[in-house]
Amino acid sequence: MIHPLQTSISSHDGSKIFCVIKNMIQVFRWDQTLGGFAAAGQWIDEQDKTASIKQKVTEEQQRQIAENETKRRKLDKDAQENTQSEVISKSVKEAKVPIPGSGAPPVYNYIRNMALSRNEELLFACTDSDKAVVVFQLDFSDPAKNCLTLKRRQPLPKRPNALTTTKDDQKVLVGDKFGDVYAVNAQESDSVQATNEKLEPILGHVSLLTDIALATDSDGKQLLFTADRDEHIRVTHFPQTYVVNKWLYGSKKFVSTLCLPEWGSNLLFSAGGDNFVCSWNWESGELLDTLDISDLIEPYLGEAQLAPKKFQNESNSLVEYAVSKIVTFSNLPYVAFFVEQTKALFICKVDPVLAKFTLAQTIELPFNIVSLTTAMTAGTTIATLDNRESDGTSFASFITWDGTQFTIDGERNISFDKAVTEKLKDDSIANVDSQEVYPLYHVASLRKRGELYS
Amino acid sequence: MKAGMSLDDPSSKRQAYRLKKQENREELKHVRIDESSAQSDKIDLPRKRFYRQRAHSNPFSDHQLEYPLSPDDMDWQKLYPAFYDKATNKMSKEVTIADIGCGFGGLLIDLSPEFSDNLILGMEIRVQVTNYVEDRIIALRTNNADTNDYQNISVLRGNSMKFLPNFFHKAQLEKMFFCFPDPHFKQRKHKARIITNTLLSEYAYVLKEGGIVYTITDVLDLHQWMAKHLEEHPLFERLSPEWESSDKCVQIMRNATEEGKKVERNKGDKYVACFVRLPNPIII
Repeated sequence: MIHPLQTSISSHDGSKIFCVIKNMIQVFRWDQTLGGFAAAGQWIDEQDKTASIKQKVTEEQQRQIAENETKRRKLDKDAQENTQSEVISKSVKEAKVPIPGSGAPPVYNYIRNMALSRNEELLFACTDSDKAVVVFQLDFSDPAKNCLTLKRRQPLPKRPNALTTTKDDQKVLVGDKFGDVYAVNAQESDSVQATNEKLEPILGHVSLLTDIALATDSDGKQLLFTADRDEHIRVTHFPQTYVVNKWLYGSKKFVSTLCLPEWGSNLLFSAGGDNFVCSWNWESGELLDTLDISDLIEPYLGEAQLAPKKFQNESNSLVEYAVSKIVTFSNLPYVAFFVEQTKALFICKVDPVLAKFTLAQTIELPFNIVSLTTAMTAGTTIATLDNRESDGTSFASFITWDGTQFTIDGERNISFDKAVTEKLKDDSIANVDSQEVYPLYHVASLRKRGELYS
Repeated sequence: MKAGMSLDDPSSKRQAYRLKKQENREELKHVRIDESSAQSDKIDLPRKRFYRQRAHSNPFSDHQLEYPLSPDDMDWQKLYPAFYDKATNKMSKEVTIADIGCGFGGLLIDLSPEFSDNLILGMEIRVQVTNYVEDRIIALRTNNADTNDYQNISVLRGNSMKFLPNFFHKAQLEKMFFCFPDPHFKQRKHKARIITNTLLSEYAYVLKEGGIVYTITDVLDLHQWMAKHLEEHPLFERLSPEWESSDKCVQIMRNATEEGKKVERNKGDKYVACFVRLPNPIII
C-alpha cells in the first residue's frame, strides 16, 4: 500500500499541492490541458542522521578536551610545578555515535512541516534528520522538470516545528521544540549547506512551540505570533523581537494552531487542547468569541479519544480530544477545523467584525483527517486522509465553495488519487506495510500531565 | 521522590510536623489578622530542617502548578489580606517588587520594613521551600499583629520562567531580584538559567521604565553570564558601582538572603550587577 499523506500545503489558487510521505516531498500540479493532476516534482531527504550526530559528539569531545586541558594547567599552576610544556598528547579516542539499544523506541525520520513564501516562489520544510530548515526554489515553467531545487539547508540546534516568513520573504522564521525562534535567511544562495555560524534565537518561550504566524498592523509594522504548550499566545514585534507586545490570555489547555485571516483586520483564530475554538482581536488583546465544540464533536469521538491508561479514570470514560488545525480562506469569511483522529470537518461562518462563530456545515469524510490546508483564493480546503483501510484511494479530499455552500469535489479527489497512485505505486519509500505506517497524529501528546512531586 | 520515603511513614517526626503546619496554614492563611484576634498565641517560627528538599527543580517539566489564566484573574486578596478593600472589593495596591526564586525568604523579610508601601512577592518553584516561607510569613504576621508588620510580603509557588506573564501586567513591576540562582554549570543546561537573552524580553515586559533588575551570585562564571546577557539586551543598561554602593536594596541583598549568609560564613565572593529598564525604542 501507499503510505498516507502526512502533511500537505496548497498554493493559493489550489493548482499546486505539496505533500509529505516520510522523508519525501511530492508535488502535484493541476494540468489544465490534461484536466487533472500530474506529478510535478519530488525531493527526498537523504541526509545521514549519524553525520550530524557525529559532528556534534566530536565537537563536544573537543570542548571537553579543551576544558580538561585548562583545568589541568590551572592545577599544575596551583601546585607550582615546573610547567614545562610537557604536552601529554594522549591518543584521543574517536568520538562514538551512540546507537539506541534494542528496547529503544523506533526512530522516525520525516518532514514535519512545510510553508510557502508569500510570493509562492519558495518552499520551506523542516527536516528531522539533521533538524534543519530547507529552502527550495520553485519553478513550474517546464512540466518535464522537477519543480524543486534545493537552495539552502540550515541545521538548527533543536528540532524545528513551525514555519512562517517575513512580510518581504527575506527570512523564514522557525519555531523549535525547545521554544526558540530563529530567523533564517531565505534568499541568499551562494551555498546549499549553510555556514557554521551559530544562530542566536530571536525570541524564546520556556515551552514547546506549536505554531508561528506573522501579521502586519495598520501602520505596516510586523508582529509575530507564537503559540506554545503552556496555553500562551505571545505577540512580539518584528524585527525588534526583544519588545513583547502582549500575551493573549484565555486558552486553558495547550494551543496547537494559529490562523490569521485576510478578511478580518486584527483577527486571529486559535485552537488546541481546549473544548473550544477562539477568535481574538490581537490589537486589543481581547478574546472576542469562543465556539464550544464539545457537543459538535460528540458523535465523532471514538476509542482514539479515550485518555491513555495511565491517566484514565476508573469507569474508563475519560475522553480527551484536541483541535489539530484551523484554516481560513482569502475572500470567504469562513474557518474550517478538525479534531485529531476524527472524520469530521467543521466549517464555521465568522462575522468579520464581531468575530462570532456560527456553525455552517459539518462534513463527514470517509476516513480520519490527517492534515488540513487551504487553497486560499480558490475557496477550497484540502484534507489528507488516513486511508490505510481504503483500497488505495481517498488520499485527500477537496472541499470547495460552490457559491452557496461547501461540497466535496469528487472529480478532483479521483484525479488526485490517480496522480498519487501513478507517481508512487512503485516508489520504495512510499510503499509500506500497514504496520510500517509512520505516526500520523502528534497533537494529543501535547497534553500536560502534571508531575506530583519535584 | 527517593529521599522523601519517610513522608509516607505516619510516625515520622517530619511528617507530623508538616501536617501540623499544613493545618495551621489552611486556618491562618486567608484570615485577616486584626486587633481582635491579636491576643491569640504566638506562633513558633518554622524550622528549616523539617522542610528539606532536593536543591534543584527542573524548570522545563510539567509541575502541578496553580497559576491564573491572566493577571486579571489573580486573586491577590488571599496573599495580602490587609491590602484588600472590602468596600470596593479591590486591592488597594498591586505587587511592584518580585523576588524570583526567593528561596527561604530572607530577602522578603528584610525588604518588608524598608518598602512598607509596596507589595513584595517571592516566587519559588520548590514546594517545601515555599511552604517554609509561607509558614514563616504566617508566624511573623501573627507575632506582629499589634504593629501590622509583614503584611506586605507574600510568597507563591510557581515557575516564573514559564508563567510570569500570567501574574503581572505589562510594566507592573518596579524591582526584580535574582538572588543566588541555580548556576546550571553544564553548557547544555544553559537554557535552564533564569537569565537568558530570550527570557529577559519577558522580564522587560513586566518591568516599568526605570525599573531595576538586581542580580547577585557567588559563582563568577554565572555572574559574567548574567551581566553579559543583560548588557547585550537592548532594553537594559548596567548601573554603576557608585549606584550599587548607594542603593539600600543592594545592601540588603548582600546580607539578608540565606545564601548570602552562607557565602559570608564560607568567606566566598559575592558578585552584584544591577540594571535599569530602558524605554522601549520606536517600533519599526
